[in-house]
Amino acid sequence: MSTQQPILRVANLKKYFPQKLGLFKRSKNHVRAVDDISFEIYEEETFSLVGESGCGKSTTGRSILRLHEPTSGEIIYQGKNILEFSKGEFRSYRKDLQMIFQDPYSSLNPRMTVKQLLMEPLLTHHICSKKEAEKRVYDIAVKVGLTKPQVSKYPHEFSGGQRQRISIARSLILNPKVVILDEAVSALDVSIQAQILNLLIDLQEEFKLTYLFISHDLNVVQHVSDRVGVMYLGQIMEMSSTDELYNKPLHPYTQSLLSAIPSTKPREKKERIILKGDVPDPSNPPSGCPFRLRCPKVHERCSVEKPVYQEVKQNHWVACHLYDERNQTDKDKKLEEQFI
Amino acid sequence: MTNVLEIKDLSIDLIKNKERLHIVNNLNLTIMKKQKYGIVGESGSGKSLTSLSILNLLPEGIEVGNGHILLNNDTNLVNVSKKDMRHIRGNEISMIFQEPMTALDPLFTIEHQVSEVLKFHGETSKKEMHNKMMTLFEQVGFARPKQILKSYPHQLSGGMRQRVMIAMALICKPKLLIADEPTTALDVTIQAQILDLMNELTEYYDTSILLITHDLGVIAETCERVAVMYAGTVVEEASVKDLFDHPAHPYTKGLLSSVKSLGDRTKKLYAIPGNVPSPVELKDAGCRFASRCPFVMDICREKEPELFSVQDRHYSKCWLHDMEEGSTYEYATTDSESS
Repeated sequence: MSTQQPILRVANLKKYFPQKLGLFKRSKNHVRAVDDISFEIYEEETFSLVGESGCGKSTTGRSILRLHEPTSGEIIYQGKNILEFSKGEFRSYRKDLQMIFQDPYSSLNPRMTVKQLLMEPLLTHHICSKKEAEKRVYDIAVKVGLTKPQVSKYPHEFSGGQRQRISIARSLILNPKVVILDEAVSALDVSIQAQILNLLIDLQEEFKLTYLFISHDLNVVQHVSDRVGVMYLGQIMEMSSTDELYNKPLHPYTQSLLSAIPSTKPREKKERIILKGDVPDPSNPPSGCPFRLRCPKVHERCSVEKPVYQEVKQNHWVACHLYDERNQTDKDKKLEEQFI
Repeated sequence: MTNVLEIKDLSIDLIKNKERLHIVNNLNLTIMKKQKYGIVGESGSGKSLTSLSILNLLPEGIEVGNGHILLNNDTNLVNVSKKDMRHIRGNEISMIFQEPMTALDPLFTIEHQVSEVLKFHGETSKKEMHNKMMTLFEQVGFARPKQILKSYPHQLSGGMRQRVMIAMALICKPKLLIADEPTTALDVTIQAQILDLMNELTEYYDTSILLITHDLGVIAETCERVAVMYAGTVVEEASVKDLFDHPAHPYTKGLLSSVKSLGDRTKKLYAIPGNVPSPVELKDAGCRFASRCPFVMDICREKEPELFSVQDRHYSKCWLHDMEEGSTYEYATTDSESS
């Protein structure tokens, strides 16, 4: 389904937020929301970032659109580093990169009708005449499942699911190449969520879209993605194809995350790995591996040395000492056998 | 086993322009001692209102219109005085809410807030109270309970606050614990911790649970019996195993196929068409699911179905289970013939 051509490449992206310590004090600490992550998204595929709240998945999505200016790193879109562009230059690229947000209640201006909402992007980017814009509005509205009379209504007259359809139409009307979906179906009920997911999958095929899908819902991610990256405390811990990640997870964090999903088969009691404690404070991350405080397979090396994020199998990247073969000592190997 | 709570023919009405809208209609359920009972439904199905009505906590303008709620087979909670109700809350029934952020007062320490509960329910000695809190906080899994007691809510994470709420709810050893979406605001790994803890503690204290959630997975993992609510009515009630093995009502079937087809990328996701109707759109006549039901018949729009018994202690509110009308229900499982 996907060609092997990266449309978007994120390299060593970092986003640190300064932490202010009072009115006159200089900010000393930084919250490391995104800490050195790299990934590629191929044309027409769905790449997902999954993780718990506070792991930096949304900040990553926003940084790609420069809604947050990244601290350092590169974002290469079609061969060009978009972080080097001036604001004016970047504007023309915004058409290609669109975003859909979680809350369809706060992301639509309540004083504009659906028609105005959908026409606004076309007019601000000077894409076509008003008359042409009107025609396009009706076309896209029908595509996302709205009826023609509904187009002249206001957002408050719609339910959550329908509002999300409007948000989708608004982001697709500029014919983008990449759409970033930040928890786009998380606020919806199960039966509505299924409708919107089907719509997104259909639209992806029709318009040849590339999705960056950001979600905390592991079931939804499994359904839509070609490849998945698991984030924890601002870093990618594991990345591989969806099937491999869900069937043969390597990182202890991924394993426990998957085992924590409540299963809908009450007769099958599965072995659960229950993690202790909470996600550590990102302004004061633990030394070594960020996951070591909660890891069931922790050993001495984890607190001393930060594991290298590397490809351990083809297209399967992990940051964990358990899979680090190059400089593994015999002692560690023994420990590993003990734990597996 | 004895009944802890029995809800009979309950209807909850919204009073609007002197008109009564039945937001919850004809609800029946029974929770036995030590049972873990789940109510599952989408937003707007009336599951939270049902739980609030048990403790007389309904918001203004909404009241119980009909029916009764029996505690321990004798006290009718619908017409209990305010004073008596205060003794029932906490002592007999306690509740955990979805938002552990807003359920705790930010101005007082945890110790102050938990001891308030104990003071209200008759404990006076400070030392005794402290000891009680320490043991309970250890039970809910705090490594350093002393420190937690001294801290303020903002110093704790979401998971820890929910643990404090559980401790607070269980400190008077209630007979029934109502948990309204207790893990919805939490991450999956923390959700697993909290569900595990609730299971363990209620077993220890012989407490029954009424768990309210929109997540079928949470129901499958924790409950024994379950009621599926849709637009203010229970459409299906069964043991969890029966419900997940042979769902009978078209709504339950739809929900389960939506959830189960997730992850199977070869097939299209099953989606129930349309939206949940708002209480204003509801008509009194006919089945409330009729507008979205793939098996809708003429009778569904005219007459509200009763709860038909599908199997032993498995009920479904659908005309398809009425033998004379339901002969066209070809997707029904073989054991769905009404008895």
